[in-house]
Amino acid sequence: MTENPGMEGKNIGYIVGGGLRESLRVRLTVDPQEVQEGAFVVVESGGWSFYGLVTDLALGATDPRFADEQSEERLPAELAKLLHGQTLYTTLEMLPALMMETGPEPGSPAYMEWANAHLGGDEKVLPVKTIPSHHAIARLARSSDIAQIFGAPGVEGNFVVGTTREQDLAVCVNLKKMIQRSAGIFGATGSGKSFLTRIVLAGLIHNDLASTLIFDMHNEYGWDDTASDTNTKVAGLRNKFGARVRIVGLGRDNTVRGQTPDFYLEIGEEDITPEDIELLSRTLNLRETTPTTLEALQQSFGKSWFHEFSQMKVGAVVEDENGKKVPAADSVAYWANQNGVNVAAAEGLRSKLSRVFNLPYVVSGQMENALQTIIADLSAGKHIVFSFGKHESDLDYLLVTNILTRRIRETWGKRVNEFRSNPGKVKEPRQLVVVVEEAHKLLNREMASQTTFSTIAREMRKYYVTLLVIDQRPSQIYDEVMSQLGTRISGWLGDEDDIHAVLSGLAGRDALRGMLAHLQPKEEVLMLGWGVPMPILLRTRRYDDEFWKELLGKETEKKSPEENLKTLGY
Amino acid sequence: MMAGIEIGRALRSSITGCVVGCRVSQLDAPEFGGMVSIPLDDGSKIFGLITDIHIDDDGLVRQLVTAENISSEVIEDNRLNRNVPVEISVLFIGFEREGSYSHLLPPRPPLSLLAIYPCGDREIGGFTSAGRLGYLRHILRAVDLPVAEILAAHLRQAGAIQNKNGNGDWVEAATRELITLLRDDYATLNTVLGSLADTHLYLQGGSND
Repeated sequence: MTENPGMEGKNIGYIVGGGLRESLRVRLTVDPQEVQEGAFVVVESGGWSFYGLVTDLALGATDPRFADEQSEERLPAELAKLLHGQTLYTTLEMLPALMMETGPEPGSPAYMEWANAHLGGDEKVLPVKTIPSHHAIARLARSSDIAQIFGAPGVEGNFVVGTTREQDLAVCVNLKKMIQRSAGIFGATGSGKSFLTRIVLAGLIHNDLASTLIFDMHNEYGWDDTASDTNTKVAGLRNKFGARVRIVGLGRDNTVRGQTPDFYLEIGEEDITPEDIELLSRTLNLRETTPTTLEALQQSFGKSWFHEFSQMKVGAVVEDENGKKVPAADSVAYWANQNGVNVAAAEGLRSKLSRVFNLPYVVSGQMENALQTIIADLSAGKHIVFSFGKHESDLDYLLVTNILTRRIRETWGKRVNEFRSNPGKVKEPRQLVVVVEEAHKLLNREMASQTTFSTIAREMRKYYVTLLVIDQRPSQIYDEVMSQLGTRISGWLGDEDDIHAVLSGLAGRDALRGMLAHLQPKEEVLMLGWGVPMPILLRTRRYDDEFWKELLGKETEKKSPEENLKTLGY
Repeated sequence: MMAGIEIGRALRSSITGCVVGCRVSQLDAPEFGGMVSIPLDDGSKIFGLITDIHIDDDGLVRQLVTAENISSEVIEDNRLNRNVPVEISVLFIGFEREGSYSHLLPPRPPLSLLAIYPCGDREIGGFTSAGRLGYLRHILRAVDLPVAEILAAHLRQAGAIQNKNGNGDWVEAATRELITLLRDDYATLNTVLGSLADTHLYLQGGSND
């Protein structure tokens, strides 16, 4: 549906300069208010169509005095208008991204020859390698242009994420391609990241492209929620997709928005490795002696180091036969002395780890049952929303997400290796997308080398596991990890460093920089990177009843019992 | 200007223009900025614009000016029976040959004593509609001439005829062309636009007289 049909395909100007390295310059022949930054523009020249994005608009004059003087006050209005039309102008900068051969003018003698040469072939869209000629006409995109580049809505695999701003033309993303690499959704607080994430997840779930494991730090995605600013209901994935989406709570007796999860997960003491504790260095303010102490604990106690350490007491002393106070056998000091570990370091660590020892969801043994259920559900094509419930601290988030993801990734890795060894006999593993919020807490420079997440990001799709990171401070995510993110969808960002981070590693980033700071919060996003053919500025779809009606519309028709069972996840 | 009546004869000429001599009695016809034609012996016509009308003094006039009580008969006699002709300067803007208008300079200047006539509506309409207003460059190139006033007078005359012929966009097209040609010459363009503003061509519902 075109909200502004007059704008579709409208000629807006002609090429006056520019090049491949810098942007192309277009002299506008319409009022500057008719074109906005981020508009999708097409230039046809020499048998090629060039597709690009408006990155800047600037006023100019043939002589600065024409701009300085208000000739409309000195001359009759008509005459002033004629003067301004010739001496004052607007130039827009167009970042060319793609080009496609369209051949000679249809009906011309050369056209038949070209058509025969390209008979039956698909028109190929290429990265831009040349430029249009001077005075080639620039126009706004038509729906056919959008469909050519981004895919037509309604075609399988194409998911509408939003529309172009000027002409309200639907823009699709190929979700299957998008999840082949880790991706990111960025934007300052309140810019609409969560809504956009819900839209993308709904698309993934509905199209059954991958299983998703969503670490729902703020309990937003599972059940219905209420928007904080508008107080309107926000549909939850569980409420819309039924039993295809499973809610897992952290810890026994942990409700999520007043509802009981499908099952709960507790972390076993034997699941916690020294590396998991090192990850908490900043949160627990651990000292640099921590790795040494942890290594010694593991040497002493093996898998049960955590349990054993939790049983030790700080400062426990007994009197020996001489009446002298010595460390008790169950004290930290005793163990430290026995193992050549600095006593103060060990005692300090024991004290600081009390927060972890006292976590209600950390229990003795291992978390096998719940973990196996999660793995089984994900393998069967279901989706897990892991809700933290009342455990919303950074400590909870860092500890649990890393442990869980490490175990699941290990399982996936094993399955992939088995599949690759016996492709005919072993079933191909299901693609898994791990959704992580506040990603900078897990993927900053300090932690990047330690967490499973950075490993997943670097491995790309090798082991059928990719990330979808959601974050408001992309500048705090390690550069190397950012560079591995394929598709990036970004809402408004105000911080220069964050803008730089989102655009890092991408061509034309300088031209796109200003665009991120001018996005309308909650309304507009810039989509770019590997998963999309070229950067595009979108007005995002509204996450509302209309969205669900369009997405699930077919599901409101009467279905067979088998289809119903499939919907319920069986 | 009244078409068809001879307004003078060529005194001296070049490729870019000529000077026409005329009697005082012929002065009713020519107007500053008005378009004129000079038919040549080969059947072609040169077109030009009147850029100056020059009345020189002679010896007798200089004496009479200092006299007291000059009678009206004497004044009239001196005006009509001058030894020195009134001179009209003409800037060439194009020509017509074999029914086709050209906005280039004529290939040859007119010979002395060839007659000059004011252009009629048909000639003005035909010449100014032909081509793409290229003749305007001859006016802009002129040195030591009141270019702004010439253009204003010409646009007023030609505009009225074009409007009568149903070509209401002509004035705007001519103005646009002038702006394009002059947009690197701020001072001249401002002067030209000021003159055009004074023609009332651009008044709301303004008349094109």
